[in-house]
Amino acid sequence: MSILSLKQVNKKYSQEQEFAIKDVSFEVEEGEILALVGESGSGKTTLLRLIAGLEHPDSGLISLSGQIIVEGKKSVPAHERQVGMVFQDYALFPHLTILENVKFGLKKSHAEKKAKETLKLVGLKEDYNKYPHQLSGGQQQRVALARAIAPNPKILLMDEPFSNLDALLKDQVREEIRQIIKKTGITAIFVTHDTKDALSTADRIAILHKGYLQQIDIPKILYENPVNPYVANFFGKRNEITAIPSEEGYYTSFGFITDPEAKNHTGKIKLLFRPEHGEVVQRDGQQLTGKIVKISYFGSHQMVKLADDEGTRVTIRTNPGRSFEGMERACFYLWKYDVEEAF
Amino acid sequence: MEVLKRNYYWWNKWTGYSLLILLLVATPLFTIFIKLFDSPGGSWSHIANNLLFGYFQNTILLLLGVAFFTFLLGVSTAWLVSNYEFPGRKYFEWLLILPLGFPGYIMAYTYVGILDYTGPLQVFLRNTFDINFRGSVIDIMNLPGAIFILSITLFPYVFLISRSSFVGQSKTLQEASFLLGTNRLKTFFKVALPMARPAIVAGIALASMEVLNDYGTVKYFGVNTFTTGIFRAWFSLGDSSTAIYLAAILMVFVFVILYLESIQRGQRQYSSVHGVQRPTARLHPTLWKKLFYSGACLFIFLLSFLFPFLQLIHWVSMTYSKVVNKDFFLLIYRSFGLAAISGIIIVFFSVVLLYALRLSPFKWVKNITKIATLGYAIPGAVIAVGVMIPFIGLDKWIYGTLISSKTAGLFFSGTLFALVFAYIVRFMAVGYNPVEAGFQKIGIHVNEASRLLGTRSTKTLWKIDLPLIKTSLVSGIILVFVDILKELPLTLILRPFNYQTLATKAFDMATNEMIAESANAALIIILTGIIPIIFLNRLLK
Repeated sequence: MSILSLKQVNKKYSQEQEFAIKDVSFEVEEGEILALVGESGSGKTTLLRLIAGLEHPDSGLISLSGQIIVEGKKSVPAHERQVGMVFQDYALFPHLTILENVKFGLKKSHAEKKAKETLKLVGLKEDYNKYPHQLSGGQQQRVALARAIAPNPKILLMDEPFSNLDALLKDQVREEIRQIIKKTGITAIFVTHDTKDALSTADRIAILHKGYLQQIDIPKILYENPVNPYVANFFGKRNEITAIPSEEGYYTSFGFITDPEAKNHTGKIKLLFRPEHGEVVQRDGQQLTGKIVKISYFGSHQMVKLADDEGTRVTIRTNPGRSFEGMERACFYLWKYDVEEAF
Repeated sequence: MEVLKRNYYWWNKWTGYSLLILLLVATPLFTIFIKLFDSPGGSWSHIANNLLFGYFQNTILLLLGVAFFTFLLGVSTAWLVSNYEFPGRKYFEWLLILPLGFPGYIMAYTYVGILDYTGPLQVFLRNTFDINFRGSVIDIMNLPGAIFILSITLFPYVFLISRSSFVGQSKTLQEASFLLGTNRLKTFFKVALPMARPAIVAGIALASMEVLNDYGTVKYFGVNTFTTGIFRAWFSLGDSSTAIYLAAILMVFVFVILYLESIQRGQRQYSSVHGVQRPTARLHPTLWKKLFYSGACLFIFLLSFLFPFLQLIHWVSMTYSKVVNKDFFLLIYRSFGLAAISGIIIVFFSVVLLYALRLSPFKWVKNITKIATLGYAIPGAVIAVGVMIPFIGLDKWIYGTLISSKTAGLFFSGTLFALVFAYIVRFMAVGYNPVEAGFQKIGIHVNEASRLLGTRSTKTLWKIDLPLIKTSLVSGIILVFVDILKELPLTLILRPFNYQTLATKAFDMATNEMIAESANAALIIILTGIIPIIFLNRLLK
């Protein structure tokens, strides 16, 4: 049962001619965590604010829990939507205590009890009478989360929840937030520019680029079956080399690859593969070599950049222990690649 | 599927209230504007033939003179104070702003008194050097005198804004200039000054607006400008149409200045320096230079504030027993009350205008609210005239249509209501700016968070926004309070019969040769004016 549904939502910023959001449609299922991913200016935060009711689209339909909340120019005001939101700067009320902050959206009758329960859920137990400025950034974020989920909203929205954290804290917080959300069973959408955030915390990921929704799916499919190069490159580098098919395989500028499927293609084609789909070794069936241009060490792995005679480069991932001392050229092997028509 | 349909989001009650306020505030300005196309009154030909050229000439000379001297005084002191270390530098930073607390007309007659036969300067010269003057040492009751007085009261505008700009300028740019071989003086002219130009021009424009607004100084010195012409047409000639026509011409001057200021600024939005200043490394000049800089600043301070201030205190000590009585306290009570009520209303209106803007992200809302703040640029006399016209019309209509009484009556015009209304039109910007800064400081997210938690916009304003901008609200009220206390031309035109404020009383007494007595009212005005100045200095730091 879908909690949130968007149909053909458009929004233009009045000054520019460009669209902030163009023809975006998707649905979010109950209890799922969706990540809206994109570069700055892709429209992801605008989309979030449209769902919240803080901004209004030029056209389109938005429904929440079966009720239409936006239709064309008419809309339900933000304070009636029952949408919970955690802002990037937390937006805690500085003149109210932590407890008062969390109680803010609750009805007086059970406010105290529910607020304390929610604070406990997010892991804050004693700081009830402190003021926001007396807490650390991480604690403030928990309060913001508690405040947003305490009124049992229909959906939870989070704007760049992990951007303010340093790398060490990020992993821990990603996991904690996912656990809290799953525990309450609430449906959540969060916006981020970091694919790692999306991959580790979300059930599904939506990729936005220049206002258009590129693809929305589970991480595995986005990674292995991207609909366009933009989505493909979003999750990491993807190498591209041109090849000419023959009866037995493909001729490339790095060498020959044996492949019985090659006879099904005519004309120039492109071979697409990720760095981790290959190995810097010689194996039967392929004679691929390249000049070593650069080796980057990352602790858990190495990335080897190889070039052909024309200057086309590929990056292959290998284990950290492999040594390339004294070598000018290296052999490599691809155990997975996609084939596309080249134009 | 259930369909929850609600109101169109681009219209809400806040936009409605804003438009109402705007209609109110814009009416006087609009009235004057259309009157420009009307035919002027009977005495117009007389004025056009004999006096108009004089008005133009004097006004332009005043503007040019004050622009030049405020530039000289303001920029030099701002440069010294922001770049060099010398004894007293820290104090001059705010001491040089104090002259703003001295309204022009008070400074005018104080100086006349200082230079007078019985004034301290002549007494000193007589007793020590046996030098005698007939009349005053220098006759300043003329155009150059007016330029002098207005320059020393208004240069702090240029000082403040230039100082902000110099302090905010990157030191590395100037250092780069030195490394390229340009000496300090050339660097000042080729790097620092051009970079500060928009700020300096903004300061001079502000000072120019005040020059156009001035009535007391030019009247006292016998300089005929548009403002004195308006007064004369209104009071002496009884020709309101001519007064309106002159007011409209004065408005054109204002728009020309505003236009010139904006085109030289280009696309830049002038904004004061925000945030924490990195400590600027100030230079330590040689001893002689240090003393020279201190001396220069001290001299300017003495001339523009301390001497006149001490003179006022001297007069007060001579006359307070005569002047300070029950009537005087009534005067204070009335002035303070009027200023406080107007301040509160203005801040209230500003909150409504700004909250509508906060909730509606539309550009046209922002442009409309800006119109409300135009009144500050318009001279008080013009606004007074602009308020009178619709009110007189309204009165005629009420007495003609509603009450149908044969006797003429004043329902709106000539009442405190008209006066407060005119204050609101004139000083809206003074309350608007601090409240705007306050809202910007707290950001929009706390408001949005509150609304998403189920609290409607009005309750959110009350529970979240207003508590968080408390200091801005208070600043706004105080700043309006002080400005209204000083105000003269508008009050003179619109006050109910025989109703005096501290400012009008001081002016009245001075023009009736009771200069020493008038110092009591004057001193109160200046003392209340000083408090926010010191406070403003901390704000701009």
